[in-house]
Amino acid sequence: MKNNYSVWVAEFANVPKYPLSGLIYGAHNQGHARLPYCYVVIKGQGHVAMVDVGYNHKEYGAVLADRYGARDWHSPHEVLAECGVTPGDVSRVFLTHAHFDHMGNMEDFPKATFYIQERELSKWVWAMSLERRFRWIMGGIDPADIMRTVDLARQGRLVSVEGDREDVMPGIDLHAAPDTHTWGSMYVRLRNDLAANSTNTWIFAGDLVYMQENLRGYTPEDPEYIPVGFAMGSQFNLVMMTEELVKGVDGDINRVIAIHEDRLKDWFPSRVTPSGVRVTELVLADGETSRVG
Amino acid sequence: MTEIDDKTVEYILTVQTWFEDLKQVAAQLAGLLVLEAAGAVADHPMRLSAERVYQSAVDGLRSARVPARARRHHDHLLAASGKLGDALSTKGDPLVFLESAYRELRSASRSLPGFQMISFEHGCCA
Repeated sequence: MKNNYSVWVAEFANVPKYPLSGLIYGAHNQGHARLPYCYVVIKGQGHVAMVDVGYNHKEYGAVLADRYGARDWHSPHEVLAECGVTPGDVSRVFLTHAHFDHMGNMEDFPKATFYIQERELSKWVWAMSLERRFRWIMGGIDPADIMRTVDLARQGRLVSVEGDREDVMPGIDLHAAPDTHTWGSMYVRLRNDLAANSTNTWIFAGDLVYMQENLRGYTPEDPEYIPVGFAMGSQFNLVMMTEELVKGVDGDINRVIAIHEDRLKDWFPSRVTPSGVRVTELVLADGETSRVG
Repeated sequence: MTEIDDKTVEYILTVQTWFEDLKQVAAQLAGLLVLEAAGAVADHPMRLSAERVYQSAVDGLRSARVPARARRHHDHLLAASGKLGDALSTKGDPLVFLESAYRELRSASRSLPGFQMISFEHGCCA
């Protein structure tokens, strides 16, 4: 099987005990799970791309640590070095949605062009026009990120995507997931053989999926889709989108990558550095050196 | 953070609304800049909303009773409101004023408890 891209899931922070009910709809009083914060690094075809960029530790690290137990934050410079690249090497970033923990660290990628769904931006802007009593809708959004987005747009480094877009890089497609986790969520599909009818696909799901239970329920032999705990759109839309994700990888749910899934490290080759950076290697491009071997 | 006296608690409870209002104004103006960068018209209803919320917050801040412990916090909010006023007046690049206002709001949020820059509940950290 031809692989044109290497893909790593890099953990930059974690919450040791996160309520399962936030991750799996309806899982109340069912305990906790370790929640890693990760982004995806894709290298190949002369490019380094990322799916999401994590949160801005300078601004929110202390609050997240104190209030939610988030810890072990590492800078993109430190994390990406474990994949053999630097933040300055990153030319494309695909933002799955506008929550602070996915797009908050844009300033650390000085040469990247950022892709986000137009609907995600326009609906957040609309939400900002609402009266104060609607402020729940603005949860998870950092106005500072919006300001950075303005700056990126002025620099010509922001691409506002309307719906699906194929081949933003060779073999990499963006797919809209409207009214699901957020208004304008997006997932990334990689065709690693670059073929139009690929048999070697990966999907990077953003927060459309938190854990594999969202893809197959609690009994894998009798699978069901259970949405994530939070939807700005609807759980119904999330369930229907999950079907699209699973079909997008020909039913191999191990290829639907949830960046908050702690067990990725058990399913793919992985290592932890002495400083606590975890790198999980999903696939290596032909000729690329393993970063976990 | 050292213990908070009653007068400062009263100040916090009073000023929280105006702090939130200033944040909302900053967010709305940033949203307008996004629309502008996307080629939308500048005369948007959100601008009227921002001006109204801004005026309410400024009036509130000016009338606040500020205990010594909260002086620095209040100064940050006044500075933020000044920068937001500049951003609304369009006498320069609004983004520069907005970023400056946001820095002041962030400094304010750090100088007293009870002032949160963003709600974390929707991101993966609830």
